[in-house]
Amino acid sequence: MLALTILTSTLASAQILNKLKGKGEQKAGEAIDNLFSGKKKKPADQSSTNTNGTTTDTSNNSTGSPSNKSGGGLVSTPPDVKQNLDDAEVAYKKLSYGESRYSVQQAMLGVELEIGNKILKSLPETISGLKKEEGADQVTSTGYGWVGLTILRKYNDGKEKELRVTVANNSVWMSAVNMYLTSGGYAQQTGGEQNWKQTKVKGNRAIIEYDESSGYKLSVPVGQSSLLVYEGVNFASENEMMTAANAVDIDGIKKQLGEK
Amino acid sequence: MKKIYLVLFILTGLVASAQEFDKNLVTARTSYSSGDLENARFAMEAMLRDLDMAIGKEILKMLPAQMGALKANVKEDNLSGGTNAAGLFVQRNYGAAPRQAELEIINNSPLMNSIGAIVNNPMLGGMMSNDNQKVIKIQGYKSLLNKNVDTETGKTNYELQIPLSNTLVTLKLNDTNENEITGFGNSIPLAKIAQIAQ
Repeated sequence: MLALTILTSTLASAQILNKLKGKGEQKAGEAIDNLFSGKKKKPADQSSTNTNGTTTDTSNNSTGSPSNKSGGGLVSTPPDVKQNLDDAEVAYKKLSYGESRYSVQQAMLGVELEIGNKILKSLPETISGLKKEEGADQVTSTGYGWVGLTILRKYNDGKEKELRVTVANNSVWMSAVNMYLTSGGYAQQTGGEQNWKQTKVKGNRAIIEYDESSGYKLSVPVGQSSLLVYEGVNFASENEMMTAANAVDIDGIKKQLGEK
Repeated sequence: MKKIYLVLFILTGLVASAQEFDKNLVTARTSYSSGDLENARFAMEAMLRDLDMAIGKEILKMLPAQMGALKANVKEDNLSGGTNAAGLFVQRNYGAAPRQAELEIINNSPLMNSIGAIVNNPMLGGMMSNDNQKVIKIQGYKSLLNKNVDTETGKTNYELQIPLSNTLVTLKLNDTNENEITGFGNSIPLAKIAQIAQ
């Protein structure tokens, strides 16, 4: 009876200690946040950005300055390609090469955004029962051409399962993946578990990886400078991942990117 | 007579560059209008290279013909190549081995972020500062000065890296001292380069 009392008491103390520790850590974290951001967070804080670019923030700043509650966001108009090419020509003739380069970069940005949007339209609305996440489509371009155009589409089931499809026109990433493909090694094992191996997606050589914390990742080099990356979170098996990847028209994307 | 040939040679080069730019511009316009976006992009990439060459030539005109007693090796001027296959790349050498200075001007160098972090962050700059590296100012621009002693020859070599927004100017000089390399650095028209290369 005495032993049971002592055990119960010990367990209760441990639970209390754990709760106190958790609170302490939470407070310490908040203190660090305050130091760097100057804002005190409240549990109800939420901010979100929708596809129209409007951002709302319901937080209150304890310093007394007004917090932003509304706004029209940014106008998402891609650069006018024709106008920028005209501007580039005018600047070049005036020997303003820096100005001309800026205009060409803007024109290239406009074209890459158009290419990106076309590719997004060509992707399926659903893959393996997962629906496209509205408002999550992304096209990123730096306007430097070789640095890369990146296109992202997300699919999910509204719960924990997600597929991210990235189309990247990026020579640096290509080199990394091609290194795996040409190294001659078929697979890598750690502790008897296979972490990555070579495979094929619609006839294209690819690398598939698996990590317990991040899920499946399938990288498919396409043509000379493009790469398709599929990331599957909470997919049940490699087969399921490969089935999802096969839903994307790789040849169509290749053609749109001008790859052979 | 030699001057006339030199002027004609330069003019020929300029005309050829302009023709390339115009040709690529026409291709970009027609491809875009016909919906061939990939070809339009390819033509614009070529236009960027034409512009980088034109900017590079303007920069070479601005660079000093001499640094101290070291004369510029104009015939070895380089406007392309290097690891940055796309973007501005200008290289000029002064003097001859064993005493030589090398000047490089690169756009969008991958080193920009790391150098910028050191020169702009007082804590990081202070931590990194030692006998072989320090942050100094050249014409008001924060710069990184690296010293390297050749253990075989015992000679001291310096490297000066000056980040200008998205352009990196690097000056290397062997068998020298801090005063000399900062003097050479001050002879480079940094403000003009910053303006034209951005």
